This record gives sequence, structure tokens and C-alpha cells, in this order.
Amino acid sequence: MADFDCPEDLRYTGDHEWVRPEGDRVRIGITAYAQNALGDVVFVSLPEEGSVVTAGSPCGEVESTKSVSDVYAPVAGRVAARNEALDGAPELVNTDPYGEGWMFEIVPDDASAVGALLSAADYRAQLG
Amino acid sequence: MTATDTEQASVQPRRTALHDRHVALGAKMADFGGWEMPIEYPGGGVLAEHEAVRGRTGLFDVSHLGKLAVTGPGAAAFVDACLTNDLSRIVPGQAQYTLCLDDASGGVVDDLIVYLRSDENVLLVPNAANCAEVARRLTAAAPEGVTVTDRHTELAVLAVQGPGADDVLAALGLPTGHDYMEFVDTTWAGGSVTCCRTGYTGERGYELLPAADLAPALWDALLAEVTARGGLPAGLGSRDTLRTEMGYPLHGHELSLGITPVQAGTGWAVGWRKPAFWGREVLLAERERGAARLARGLLARGRGIPRAGLVVRDLPQGDRPGREAGREVGRTTSGTFSPTLKQGIALALLDRSVDVGDEVVVDVRGRDLRCLVVKPPFVQVQTR
Repeated sequence: MADFDCPEDLRYTGDHEWVRPEGDRVRIGITAYAQNALGDVVFVSLPEEGSVVTAGSPCGEVESTKSVSDVYAPVAGRVAARNEALDGAPELVNTDPYGEGWMFEIVPDDASAVGALLSAADYRAQLG
Repeated sequence: MTATDTEQASVQPRRTALHDRHVALGAKMADFGGWEMPIEYPGGGVLAEHEAVRGRTGLFDVSHLGKLAVTGPGAAAFVDACLTNDLSRIVPGQAQYTLCLDDASGGVVDDLIVYLRSDENVLLVPNAANCAEVARRLTAAAPEGVTVTDRHTELAVLAVQGPGADDVLAALGLPTGHDYMEFVDTTWAGGSVTCCRTGYTGERGYELLPAADLAPALWDALLAEVTARGGLPAGLGSRDTLRTEMGYPLHGHELSLGITPVQAGTGWAVGWRKPAFWGREVLLAERERGAARLARGLLARGRGIPRAGLVVRDLPQGDRPGREAGREVGRTTSGTFSPTLKQGIALALLDRSVDVGDEVVVDVRGRDLRCLVVKPPFVQVQTR
């Protein structure tokens, strides 16, 4: 398997989302491994700002030329922002998955929930 | 994030003569019709490979396609009496798209290309997954002296597709400029190569059939010329988006044992005046009464991608008879994002009451996607 970048300062889910704490929010996207598995991303559907999401539930979709995949909320909370740039440039998920390709931000109900997610080492081990 | 659309190999897939080349290029490989095939290449991807074929040139390995030699006295007449298209429409040196039907149901066992070499020598190129079944049916029916030989792994198939295809072949000293669906047997680097003006992309291009042991050297030489002209190696991912834009059927989607050529809109590949071909009685009867459903194209009106196997429903159409909003009028058979149009497109089998120009909705995972009913192709054909 090719070696995919998993930044050490992020947390991860088994469903291939990454989570970056930023103040009272967490920013969320999908991993380099996930975008490579999907192929060229052509549409991204994101949850509305202000909507309430529960941990582990689908709240968005990523479509590539080949397939569609759900994006899950890593933690419960309220959606505080969505990356509007992906409407016009969904390829940012491929070219910069941990940066400009971020998807949405959540204000978690319980800030400690992030600590229960996978570390970079745990996620890398899961990829095998 | 979890993929909801994955392919799994049930048995160890077979490999083409170019497998090492794909691995060396770092291609993403997947099982396709029992063969381990390149889906896309690093530095390309489906969109870039698609655009390379539409604008420049793409090089495909499609060696998974079957190759059946039918030889012996009366071989061509035998094939003509089994498969749908009329072989008398072509002469030796030409190829023809045709269909192998189930005699009892008129359903499509496979769609294939026939290369006519002489009255006694015909090469068939069926789909990978259906090659054995086509061979079985032909072998069982073959008269004394006619032999059906599986040459699946003896020959490779390399497709050079796109507006730059002629320049690429010419640079290798291969023949170019012959008519669409015409082929030339030639030699290259000491081996034989059949060079045919065919393809599955809608672009001008060629499909080359070298002996398998010549294939790696031919691939290397073609790839060098293709990339020197800004083209790319292209995988089966872009092959599928390219053919979907053209409305070309893919067996297992637009064609199957449950779909007749009358429904699929491939009646043009049927020799209606021929005295015999498998499925003739059923097909003539269906043509007489009219097919209940017809192949159509769907163009998404909004954001969203209609995929294969989704329910298509009617929208209010004024007071036209037989029409009722919400009623199921068919299903999609293929669907993808069109890299050329930058919107969702689908092929669908729809109730004959639905007309080109109507609007319908596709149920995309519980959301209604409005689509315009069109007649494919979605993108202009450039093959000739």
C-alpha cells in the first residue's frame, strides 16, 4: 500500500475523516487515503450551518466519477461553518485534503469527545 | 467515510500481457470481468484521462476483451446465421458491431465486434465476462469443419483514442487513415499487428491487436509517442465515462439477457432481412408490437449524479394520457458525472410514453434529481 500522509496533530475516525481542534470548534475533512480511494471528487454535499449532528451519523456526501460515499460526523454538536469553496472547486478535496479541502466545522457538545478519536498512529495502523 | 460502491473479486483475476507495465506506472487496479485491469493512473485520474482522450490522445490496455477465432469452410456464413448483424454489409478487411442473442428470449448474451478476414476466417471480440458463454453457444452450433478457438491470451488489445491517434500510429510506422470500422493486418518489430479503426470512446482512434508477446514493446512505443504529444495512459474508469457520454451500451447495464436490442436501441445492428439469426422470431414479434420500454439519455438539471439502477419517476406533464406524476417510468442503467458537460448524465430504460424533451425525476438516495430526457450521444461523435 502506498504511504499516505496522516498529520500527527490531527485526530481520525475509522471512516477516514480527520478532525482538527481550533478553539471551541473542530474542523473536519477526509483523509489523503480516502480521497485517493475515491478518485476525482466532482461533488461535495455538506450539512447546513446551524444544523445539529450526532456522532457517527451521515451528514454529507462526497461524489467521485465512480462512486458516492457518506461523510459522518465524528462528534456530536452544531455545524458552525461549511467550506463553500468546495461548491465550485470540489477537486480541493483531492489536491489539499488537510488544508483547502476541509469540509465543515462543528462546535462539539462535549469537547472531550475529540480525545476519544483515533491518533495518527492508530489510524495508520488501521490502514495496515 | 465509507464507500457504498465497491467491487470484489470472487476468484483470482487474470492478468493481461501488460500487467507489469500498469504496476510499474502505479495504476489503481481492480477486477473487471474476471481480469485485473487498470482503472486510472497516477498523474492522471478519470477526469484528466477523459480530457486527454477528448482533446489529445489516450492509450488503453483492453486486452481483457475476448478473442474467438471462427475458422473453416463456411465460417463467415455460420457466424452470419447466429449473430444479429448482416455480414453481407461488409467485405473482408472490415469489422462490424453485432449481437449474440438468446434464441428463445431475444435477450442479449453479449455484444461484440466481428473482424471479417475471409469466408473461412472470422475473429470475434466479445466482452471479457461473456467470452466463454459466446464460445460455448457457437461451439455447440458449429457445423462440421467449422472450429471455434479461444485466443483470449494469445492476442492483446491496445486502444489509441483521440484526435492525435493518427500521428501516434504514424510515428511508429503503423497504417493510418483507413475508413471507420476498417482494419489492416501489418507487421511491427517483426510481429503481426491488426490495426482497426474502432473504439469505445466516440473519438477518432484505433484498436491494435498484437500477439501478446509483442504487446509490451508496442505499449512502450505507443506510450512514448502519446505522452510526447500531451496524451496519457488511460484506464477503464475514463473508458466508462467516455462511452457513457456517447450513449454506447455496456453489457450488464444497457444490454443483458433481460433486455432485447429493440428496447436497447441497437436495432441498427440487426440484419432484419436475414433468413436466420438467434432470437429472430422473438425480435420480429417485438418490433411488430413495439417495445414497452426504450433506451434514453438523462441529463441532470441540478447538482447531483444519477447512478445505475435508480428509479425514474414521472413529473406532471399536463393532461397527456398515460402520464401521472410520481409514477415509476423506468430505471437508470448507467450513470456518472460527465467530465465534458460537467454535470450528471445517465442512460435509462424508460416507458415508451416518455418522450425526448420531457422532464423526469431520478430518486437519488431519497432526493429527487430533475433530469431532461434526451437522445444520446451527450457529446458529439468524432469517430469518422
